[in-house]
Amino acid sequence: MSADLITLRNVSKFYCEVLGVNRITLDLKPGLTGLVGPNGSGKSTLMHLLAGLLRPTRGEVSVLGIPPDDPERLLRVVGYCTQYDSFPSGATGLSFLRHALALHGAGSDEAERRSWELLEKVGLTEAGRRRIAGYSKGMRQRIKLAHALCHSPRVLVLDEPLNGLDPMGRTEMIELFRELAAGGRFVIVSSHILNEVDAICDAVVMIHGGSVVAEGQIRAVRGEITSQPIQVLVRCDRPRAIAAAAFTLAHVVEAKLLDDGASVLVRTRDADAFYASLTAIVLSTGAAVETVLPADESVDAVYGYLIGQPGAPT
Amino acid sequence: MSGGRWPLWRRQAWAVARHEAGRSAGSRRVLPVLLLLAMPLTLAGLRALFLPASQRLDLGHSTADFAQMFALFQLRFVVFFACALLFTKLFRGEILERSLHYSLLAPLDRAVLVAGKYLGGVIAAWILLLPATALTFVLFHLPHGAAGMRQLLSATGAAHLAGYLAVVALASCAYGALFLLAGLYFGNPMVPALLFLGWEVATPFLPPALKALSFVHYLASLLPVPPSLGPLAVLARPIDPWLAGIALLVTTAVLLALAVRRARRLEVEYAAE
Repeated sequence: MSADLITLRNVSKFYCEVLGVNRITLDLKPGLTGLVGPNGSGKSTLMHLLAGLLRPTRGEVSVLGIPPDDPERLLRVVGYCTQYDSFPSGATGLSFLRHALALHGAGSDEAERRSWELLEKVGLTEAGRRRIAGYSKGMRQRIKLAHALCHSPRVLVLDEPLNGLDPMGRTEMIELFRELAAGGRFVIVSSHILNEVDAICDAVVMIHGGSVVAEGQIRAVRGEITSQPIQVLVRCDRPRAIAAAAFTLAHVVEAKLLDDGASVLVRTRDADAFYASLTAIVLSTGAAVETVLPADESVDAVYGYLIGQPGAPT
Repeated sequence: MSGGRWPLWRRQAWAVARHEAGRSAGSRRVLPVLLLLAMPLTLAGLRALFLPASQRLDLGHSTADFAQMFALFQLRFVVFFACALLFTKLFRGEILERSLHYSLLAPLDRAVLVAGKYLGGVIAAWILLLPATALTFVLFHLPHGAAGMRQLLSATGAAHLAGYLAVVALASCAYGALFLLAGLYFGNPMVPALLFLGWEVATPFLPPALKALSFVHYLASLLPVPPSLGPLAVLARPIDPWLAGIALLVTTAVLLALAVRRARRLEVEYAAE
């Protein structure tokens, strides 16, 4: 198993007879990776397996060459922000982090100093001495994130980390994730809100019913779904003319005028050929084009195609 | 085990122990234990107030009364349940409040985690149980005035008190290991605790071979004043105090080893609890 990758080989996890994840084989590289799937699809099980909170029923997991049954080594490189919204009773933000750092072997002065730094990093300096039980949902998400970050791990596993955050908080956290990924860390983020993953991740792993249905960069994944023509949205002042011209191309299977009267949705089996022909079409029709957008290269649409529930173009 | 990791393990175990001792003895968790401790203290206080004048002259009477009360109530009930409350919560409490994952997400060998939690429980048990036992002992001697005080401060009185405290300390270690293990195995560890209490209470009436399977049989061998267990008790050859102490410590070590084995396989599945 590679010491530079996170690898899962034929990993299955059953809870008694209930399937958690099934025969998952993955190689995750540094950067921001999104784990995508609806609630109950197996995202959290997969994350628990990566952090050693669960052991696979079958198969092998290795995080930078470390097996999950070696918590002493594994949890020095892995930080995990779980989905659980629960904390040790009576803990304050400061005591929570100080204890976590003490378990990492920090002395009391160092733990105190690092705790305040972490509280500042997640914007909780003012609330540091308050009990976590009195925090808002967004503040609890932040303190969990600080806990996961406390030992500057190379692998950060974040289960629905943006839940409960206000828009400003989301922006700040996404910025932080990007910063961490840019520094060469593995940042694995799960979400059932597909647009969210679309916005922040370099690559995605799509899970459905405990199995991985696709992985990689979202555009590449979309390109491999040849059974579904690619949709391109063209906004212009003469959509009818564009539609008529596009329909003469052999690879275009549908050109549909949208209700707004200023857009045409083209479905083609060869997006590159369509983009190459579009300039000629625009020149021949004299249309003023406002935008040309891929309409179904979002995580949402791709996921829909993969699990057989094609979504509307976004 | 490499020598270089010992200092880190010691620091980590101590961090866990401090945390657990604080949570066990310094939070709301302690209230049921304090209620338990109040029982023998109240009993001793009422006895001090209402002891007939004729019995106030007889110090030997108080020594025997305390021995009875300690063996039949303090040890078998108060210490037993205090340990059950303190130690079963070390793991089970975290599972119920869904915060166990924070302990399991620390870079700790699970043996260090178990050792730290156990040590924290023992510290909390000693902080709570030893002063309460000493105070109850003093209250039993109070009605005798100056003679009682002299007895308390004499070598015999101090030896008796030290003996009772040693029994409480050792009982906390042994019961603690048992209940820590029960907290790892059972969703409701109070059920096996009650079954074991039944066994402990029945020990005097069991045949000698079965007595050997109870903690209280060994603890009773360490008591400075043997209690009277009534006419129905089955007599057994007394165990040498050193042997009894060693047997309890070995049993404690075995129980802790089983707890470590279980902790190494522990997974976070709150939904299943």
